[in-house]
Amino acid sequence: MRVLATLLNEWRLFRRDLAGMVLLFLMPLGLTVVMALIQDAPFREYRDYVFDVLWVDNDGGPMAAKLHDALSSGQFRLIDTVSGRRLDSTALRNLVQTGDYKMGIVIPAGISAEVVNSANQVANEMSKSTGAVGKLPARDTRSLTIAMYFDPVSKQAMKLSLLNAIDKQLTRTQAEMILGRLSDKLASLDSTQQTRFNLQEKLQAVGVREYSTGNAKAAQLNTNSVQHNVPAWAIFGLFFIIIPIAGNMIREREEGSLMRIRLIPGSYYSIITGKLLFYVLLGIGQFYTMLLAGRLLMPLLGLPALYMGHAPLALLVTVTMIALTATAYGLLVGALFQTPNQALPFGALSIVILSAIGGIWVPVEILPAGLQQLAKVSPLYWGLDAINNLFLRSGGFATVWKPLLILLGYTLVFVALSGWIEQSRRR
Amino acid sequence: MLLIHDVHKTYRQAVEPTLQGLSLQFPRHCIAGLLGPNGAGKTTTISIICGLVNADGGQVEVLGLDTATQLAQIKQKIGVVPQSIALYPTLSAQENLEYIGKLYRLPNKILREKISHYLQLFGLEKNAHKAIRHYSGGMRRRANIIASLLHDPELLILDEPTAGVDVQSRNMILEFLRDYHRQGHSILYTSHLLEEAQQLCEEVAIIDHGRLLVQGNPAALMQLHQCLSLEQVFLHVTGRGVRD
Ligand SMILES: Nc1ncnc2c1ncn2[C@@H]1O[C@H](COP(=O)(O)OP(=O)(O)OP(=O)(O)O)[C@@H](O)[C@H]1O
Ligand SMILES: [Mg+2]
Repeated sequence: MRVLATLLNEWRLFRRDLAGMVLLFLMPLGLTVVMALIQDAPFREYRDYVFDVLWVDNDGGPMAAKLHDALSSGQFRLIDTVSGRRLDSTALRNLVQTGDYKMGIVIPAGISAEVVNSANQVANEMSKSTGAVGKLPARDTRSLTIAMYFDPVSKQAMKLSLLNAIDKQLTRTQAEMILGRLSDKLASLDSTQQTRFNLQEKLQAVGVREYSTGNAKAAQLNTNSVQHNVPAWAIFGLFFIIIPIAGNMIREREEGSLMRIRLIPGSYYSIITGKLLFYVLLGIGQFYTMLLAGRLLMPLLGLPALYMGHAPLALLVTVTMIALTATAYGLLVGALFQTPNQALPFGALSIVILSAIGGIWVPVEILPAGLQQLAKVSPLYWGLDAINNLFLRSGGFATVWKPLLILLGYTLVFVALSGWIEQSRRR
Repeated sequence: MLLIHDVHKTYRQAVEPTLQGLSLQFPRHCIAGLLGPNGAGKTTTISIICGLVNADGGQVEVLGLDTATQLAQIKQKIGVVPQSIALYPTLSAQENLEYIGKLYRLPNKILREKISHYLQLFGLEKNAHKAIRHYSGGMRRRANIIASLLHDPELLILDEPTAGVDVQSRNMILEFLRDYHRQGHSILYTSHLLEEAQQLCEEVAIIDHGRLLVQGNPAALMQLHQCLSLEQVFLHVTGRGVRD
């Protein structure tokens, strides 16, 4: 009865705390939507995106032409004329430096000749070993480089992905030219003059494609911004529950309502239980609001709907455990500090830090080994781990019990510490 | 109703001891006044009586029960009105009182009756649903008192219940205390208004620097120290120096 009375009382207090409600429900919701939208772009991995690339061809030969065709058939639009003037290397550099264009490519003079030369060298080498007659003109190799320029502001990830794309095209074009030369050479040896085999086809004999390890759906989910962002930011938002908890605890202490409670015999534990229960319920409600937004709101914004796995009970237990850990952390922060001015910035900042190291902002897998170990210190890491096991790996209870046990450990430590601090304050 | 023997207390962050061998006693069923200058140790004494603060040494008995071993029973039998307003400011008086009553495990029906009885008695019934933080100082004090009465305490302890209230509110509070005493309850209260204490109390103790200076019936003390008022006795025993 006291537990229920406390629950009701906390609700009455919370109901009047408009800022707290906004903080707990609207802000995480906004954050989740914004993050999902923003991160939707890189999740598409530039695949649907067409880049404007400045193009200066000082070569004018077949190699440059082939590269030009290969690149412009993909996700690049090659531009060689800007405001009616044909570009040269200097103009290109300036336009990229000022950020008017994100990148530029300068093909040096003589690359076609260089590739032909390499092809001839190979062909000659082959003829020699097969004992064939005839020699193609060849000289020593001169190394030439295609110059690429990037806007200094461009992200490393974008640069890398473009460099890779161009490198791939370059290798392929070179290979085509060399093989073309060789097959010409072979054709000249073969008097039957059969049709040349399709090089393009041969080069694509082996390809790469991603397959799912679990069910077919999972592969799509992996590259889906909603799937990565909604749970992560929902956990982040859930931990912000510590702000009203710590704030209320400190206010109770300052305003004296805590004193009143301590004057009432034997009520302390039922009150703590009631408070915990209220905030855990609130946290669960908040988390499911986020998930629901992921399911219903995201599709309205042109994003995919959130897939929530197929273990609803395991999900409920997981969410409850995360909410319990967050609440216990709130108790600790509330016990630790004397004034809201100390507790609230610390609380908020500590969550941002714990979320950063816990893989909420960027996946832990891409962090250096040291940081990956550090991530395990963060309760948010274990929360996200459990949710990912349910959502992305489509797991059930068996896949979440370990992170949940760790969260339980955190909860017990937080509660014990805050109890100890509160006790020592009485002296 | 109260027996304090050789109680010592030094707060952890404090340099000076707050109570240094305080001893005093008040008989049952009386209105007692605990008086002393600022920082004398009145609030500390009350906090020890109701278990908010642990004493370093000594013995405290409340209504024949030992604070060291029978705190829960003591808490059930006493009502404490703290010096500061110990209520949720954002909640209404009704909501505050409902919650406190439920923590005392009062049955709903009785609780509702008590709340409306006391709100009426203290003239707060019209503002029952207004948030405490929108109350005036006098209204807050009265609400603070009601919160300590719901469980019918045998001993009512009030720490400066009339501080900062107007004459009307003060008379209402004092009138209530006399009534409550007449119904057979004990009252212990602190105040800096010595004229008020002189009129109200059957027994007073004046303490300073955590020690008892004098104790007895106000009239008897005045006679003993050949003073015309309790205030003169007070100044006589505590000196005229200003306290920090
Ligand atoms: N929590 C605390 N920590 C440290 N020192 C304290 C604490 N509470 C009280 N004190 C010190 O103990 C002394 C007695 O304080 P107390 O509040 O008991 O006095 P009081 O008689 O109630 O004074 P007042 O009439 O001003 O209410 C003061 O010097 C005060 O500074
Ligand atoms: Mg005091």
